[in-house]
Amino acid sequence: MDFSDPQRHADGMSRPKESFIPELGSVVDALPGLVWTALPDGHVDFVNQQWREYTGFSGDAWQMAIHPEDLPRLLECLRSSISTARACEAEVRMRRFDGEFRWFAVRANPITDASGTVIKCCGLNWDIEDRKRGEELLDLAQKAARAMAFDWYIQQKINAWSPEQEALYGLPPGTFDGTYESWKKLVHPDDWPGVVASLKHAQETGNISAEYRVVWPDGSIHWLSANGLMFFDDRGQPFRMVGFTADVTRRKQVEEELRRTRLELAHVARVMSLGALTASIAHEVNQPLSGIITNASTCMRMLEADPPNVEGARETVRRTIRDGHRASDVITRLRALFSKKQATTEVVELNQATREVIALTLSELQSNRVILKTELADDLPLVAGDRVQLQQVILNLLRNASDAMDSVDDRPRQLLIKTEQDADGGVRLSVQDTGVGFELEKMNKLFEAFYTTKKDGMGIGLSVSRSIIANHRGRLWASANDGPGATFSFSIPCDRTVRDN
Amino acid sequence: MSTRPLISVVDDDESVRESLPDLLNEFGFDAQAFSSAEEFLASDWLSQTSCLLLDVAMPGMTGPDLQQELKVRRQQIPIVFITAHHDETVRPHLLAQGAVECLFKPFTDTDLLHALNTALRP
Repeated sequence: MDFSDPQRHADGMSRPKESFIPELGSVVDALPGLVWTALPDGHVDFVNQQWREYTGFSGDAWQMAIHPEDLPRLLECLRSSISTARACEAEVRMRRFDGEFRWFAVRANPITDASGTVIKCCGLNWDIEDRKRGEELLDLAQKAARAMAFDWYIQQKINAWSPEQEALYGLPPGTFDGTYESWKKLVHPDDWPGVVASLKHAQETGNISAEYRVVWPDGSIHWLSANGLMFFDDRGQPFRMVGFTADVTRRKQVEEELRRTRLELAHVARVMSLGALTASIAHEVNQPLSGIITNASTCMRMLEADPPNVEGARETVRRTIRDGHRASDVITRLRALFSKKQATTEVVELNQATREVIALTLSELQSNRVILKTELADDLPLVAGDRVQLQQVILNLLRNASDAMDSVDDRPRQLLIKTEQDADGGVRLSVQDTGVGFELEKMNKLFEAFYTTKKDGMGIGLSVSRSIIANHRGRLWASANDGPGATFSFSIPCDRTVRDN
Repeated sequence: MSTRPLISVVDDDESVRESLPDLLNEFGFDAQAFSSAEEFLASDWLSQTSCLLLDVAMPGMTGPDLQQELKVRRQQIPIVFITAHHDETVRPHLLAQGAVECLFKPFTDTDLLHALNTALRP
């Protein structure tokens, strides 16, 4: 066999041999590809019209049409095809008549005689330039986006992951067996419920969007972000997932740092404002207390004198009583301050107010691995109230729910926010968690100031929340779930003037 | 003319100004009350004052301001601060500046008497 010398059979080119049906020549010429036949020794004895038109010359110089870098690969492919009598495929660049190279797929099919000896090789080369460009573009896009494409036929359990995709999971190339179970083992167990929830969501919407950690075989942890589409079979079962996975570990680290800084800041702000509040309360109360003690001390000394100074003592007692009232006035003023009579009243769309709070806390909830679900009722009546105060209550309930699930590791940390219309026309919002719950006999204590079940809690959130809701002529209550966790709800009446408007 | 030592009370809180002088009298001192540092500085009692019971936080000139002003005027009147702000960080600072004592309101009569006796010790 000799494919090396293009000049050797220079005189041997011909039109299709007489063995062809005449019309077949036209068919072959009409094919959208370059058709050729070659003898076992490598001599190309036929090329179709497409071939001649593309290359600008006849088949005897065919090697001139192949890109020098690709020629050895093609020759090897053809040699093995003829020696093994099996079809072979290769992708090579072919020179067009004007000198431009385009990618072609080459498929060579050996023809054997009765004894099994290869007597000829038929081939078809078809233009795959566009596909190659697409692949190149995809490759570039993947590199640019630092993301890797996946195309996974879930039920067929075949490894459809690219080596790059496997690399994102720290796997050596070709070692992922394509099963759901194997994938599950790669995902961090804490994040698996979130992944399952994302897949459930994808089953409803067709859109895959998930962020989760994977544990590499070396034990290191990496954050991946996967986005893509899910396809379903006739029975509605998902069978294929296509999309991109990107390593977002660095971004997650930055986010985590940000979150921690924000938490620290919030804590400092809370402690500072509480500290300032405490100091001013102490000062306000200490002034009259100081008067009371001084007056009482003076009174005692006056009465103990010989003779007792009853008139002076009477005066100190009068002042003691006055200072007592003054202390009481301080407390009344403080209560008025907290009940905030001057609260602004506006028309509040509770769903919108809730969405804003969710937007504020979403990243916090996600980093606590809380799965948030919302069921916001359509056509919820408007309420009259202080929007910011109501949002403080919602924020407080969300934080409490999230905190209550901090130690939960044996079940999904689910948080459901629901709005609905009350039976008596009011508006109700409830926050349901799957957290540690509370003991029924402590139900009333929950709303007392400075009562807390958290190790670093201040115990003022729920009591302030309850007073805010009371100012809206509503009520705030807690109930235990059928399953694990608790539900905190408030309902506020729908304002008549608002409703009439 | 009394020979009893004069204790001047400077406090913007009226109930302090009313109650403390009576107690000081019971202790055996003369007492004068002033509602501000400025009022005290402008009064004739300044030179006769044996000890100053001085509030820390007041509108206008504060207690520490008055302490500095008296230093500038070379008036060596012993000062006992009285404050309703329980700020432990303020106390060492005031003592370092030469105050005899710093009492947190509400204080007991014995604590006050002890501080005054320290201040008036020759």
